[in-house]
Amino acid sequence: MRGYRVSLLLILVTVLSLAQSGSELVTPEIRRVGRHLACLCGVCKNTVADCAMLECGHSKPARIKIRSLLKEGKSDQAIIARFVAEEGKQALAVPPAEGFNLLAWVMPFAAIGAGLMLIGWFIRRMLPKPQTAAATDSRILDRYHEQIEKDLAQLD
Amino acid sequence: MENIGALAILLAFCLSLYAIVGSIAGKLKSRPFLVRSAERAVYAVWFLLTLASGILVNALLTSDFRFAYVASRSNRDMPGVYKFAAWWGGQEGSLLLWTWILSCYAAVVVWQNRKKFRDMMPYVTATLMVTQAFFLLLITFPLSPFQVLAIGKEVTAAPDGSGLNPLLQYWAMAIHPPTLYLGYVGFIVPFAFAMGSLITRQPGDAWIHTTRRWALVTWLFQSCGVLLGAGWAYAVLGWGGYWGWDPVENASILPWITGTAFLHSVMMQEKKGMMKVWNIVLISATFFLCIFGTMLTRSGIVSSVHAFAQSPIGKYFTIFLALHIAATIWLILDRLDYLKSESQLESVVSRESSFLFNNLLLLASCFAVLWGTLFPVISEAVTGEKISVDAPFFNRVNVPIGLFLLFLTGVGPLIAWRRSSLDSLKRAFLWPAAVGVVTVAALAALGVRHFYALMSFGLCAFVTSTIVAEFGKGAWTIRAKTRMNMARAMVELTHRNTRRYGGYIVHMAIVVMFIGFSGAAFNQDKTIEVKPGDRFRLGRYELRVKDLKQGETPNYRWGNVVLDIYTDNEFLGALQPEKRFYKVSRDQSSEVAIRRRLNEDLYVNFSGVAEDGRAVIQAYVFPLVSWIWVGFATLFFGTLICLVPSKVRLQFPKTKVVGVVTQDARVSR
Repeated sequence: MRGYRVSLLLILVTVLSLAQSGSELVTPEIRRVGRHLACLCGVCKNTVADCAMLECGHSKPARIKIRSLLKEGKSDQAIIARFVAEEGKQALAVPPAEGFNLLAWVMPFAAIGAGLMLIGWFIRRMLPKPQTAAATDSRILDRYHEQIEKDLAQLD
Repeated sequence: MENIGALAILLAFCLSLYAIVGSIAGKLKSRPFLVRSAERAVYAVWFLLTLASGILVNALLTSDFRFAYVASRSNRDMPGVYKFAAWWGGQEGSLLLWTWILSCYAAVVVWQNRKKFRDMMPYVTATLMVTQAFFLLLITFPLSPFQVLAIGKEVTAAPDGSGLNPLLQYWAMAIHPPTLYLGYVGFIVPFAFAMGSLITRQPGDAWIHTTRRWALVTWLFQSCGVLLGAGWAYAVLGWGGYWGWDPVENASILPWITGTAFLHSVMMQEKKGMMKVWNIVLISATFFLCIFGTMLTRSGIVSSVHAFAQSPIGKYFTIFLALHIAATIWLILDRLDYLKSESQLESVVSRESSFLFNNLLLLASCFAVLWGTLFPVISEAVTGEKISVDAPFFNRVNVPIGLFLLFLTGVGPLIAWRRSSLDSLKRAFLWPAAVGVVTVAALAALGVRHFYALMSFGLCAFVTSTIVAEFGKGAWTIRAKTRMNMARAMVELTHRNTRRYGGYIVHMAIVVMFIGFSGAAFNQDKTIEVKPGDRFRLGRYELRVKDLKQGETPNYRWGNVVLDIYTDNEFLGALQPEKRFYKVSRDQSSEVAIRRRLNEDLYVNFSGVAEDGRAVIQAYVFPLVSWIWVGFATLFFGTLICLVPSKVRLQFPKTKVVGVVTQDARVSR
């Protein structure tokens, strides 16, 4: 019985250490800003807004900082800039569309463009070539034209 | 026993090398006994790896803590099923599993074809054994699963093990990795046949016909592995996500995408003799992505929650991949003459063209995922600055591509092989398009404003109507001829061409999954601290906190919250989300409580206890998420249908170009 009580105490202590109040840190305003910022805990690939670990070593302090900066009246952009200044560009959830990082956005769609060109080339190559018939037609037409010219000349 | 295990792996490594040399030398020198001997070496490798695996599993089940692997991945009080699952819970054990599965596949391939493809088989065996030898090299030298704990020179046993990661102690996790490995490893079989076909300069499609079922079964395993992983993440991680664009998750989806492209484009080769080079490229890319995914998980190139500990094996994989890719490119370029198309496209508006676009989008999606996964590494190498590429990037890039693919899923069956006239297109598209538009209009009228969700639902309706029309038209014709009822006529129709109609069922599964994905646009959540007697609302639910309980098992201690669920004062049942604390590993895990329904899931996570003693609850409503699992079951069923032989053996006459008759020739005749 005593052992059981000790274990209950242990679980209580353990669970107490698991979490602290986090509900006030998931307000719509904090989420709005947090959506632009990466959770850098190394466990998830979520944003600060979406990280579901209440005790996350990165997103919880980030949310607290966002809350305090919002209280100071800072704009969303100013808060994001502050995070970038402190943590570098990795603070952003997506690569900034500038410089070398622009490639992150461009390449997938460039690949589709290149693929479309490849398909165009392939289709042109695989379709039966109409030139043979066209060339033949024009030769025949030329022959008829010559014949008409000749006949017209004879009429004159 | 550890010595026997290590010796078995070493012998298997030597025999796999012998199988490579024996099969190639036997073929080149025309010595059939050498080829046979190499094939028997394949069986011997399987036997030795089965023995080694048996020794490791026995050590896990009997808690033999002299083994370093056993001590670091299990503990005495773990249930037997998780002790068994610890086989793949760590780097060394999972590599042994990978290698053992490959040896099983190799033995089956050699046995199935012992009297067939005598020209090609030595090279198929050699290709299989090259990969086998590579993985055996890893577990023979740098990552042996049979290392023992020792003090000085004396082998010693730890009193207890440190236990398996609690997150892995879940039923889906017990089968997710082996299922995924069955997929990863299985793609080597069609790749090996493709290489055998190239090396022996086979002009025909023998490798395609032989490996079609292999590719399909492997693809099914890969699909199951990916979706079981998604199901595990949903039920265990406590935030209701099923896909987080983690590098290791991405690594599992990459070969699945190229494998899907292969399963589509291979039809062009079978029916029209076209795209032979492309199919070789696709199956090779699929195999390389399987190896690449394995490397990503195990080398620590990118950080991931799923990755095994960093190890020095990244360079081994890099060399293996580089050599394989170079050899494959050289082979393809050298054998281009044997890979020429047997027929031409007859029209741009044809089923053939739709397959081209399908392949383009699948590969674009694959590239986007690969690019996003590797970009942080590339960017840091170029600019020296770390950046993050998280879920929003993948969603922004892949959602439009995915929707366009969904559109093509509906378009493909509406376009005829060879050519489609404008009139037939109009007839085929009119009703499905109308159904799609009406669905979008109706949802918009009901207040749905999320653009991608609207598009997705509209396209789902469009594709569903095309599939229903395909089944309906075919079954109606059979019914008219045979007087069967519609249900039997549909079964008969499917049985007559299992591949086509099984494929439509798989397409339907994709539609059902897209409905599930689209539901995410309407998720709701609430994080709240509560004590017994409190109540709170989320969506249409009222959650009343009834009790807080705690207790323990030999393996872990637990605490849970009892919540009664009501809607409009009607009692719907109780949910008991639980928090566990594992005694040995001192790790914790959440056992979320989920009320699953087709329209929405109510998902509750007990996050812990706040400073003032109140329970912290995260509650979510996930609309339509169950459709993803229904889609999974449908995909499984549809793929099984594809594997059933068709009742009617279909012949596909190829449009051969025998020459061009010119006007002159006709005139002169």
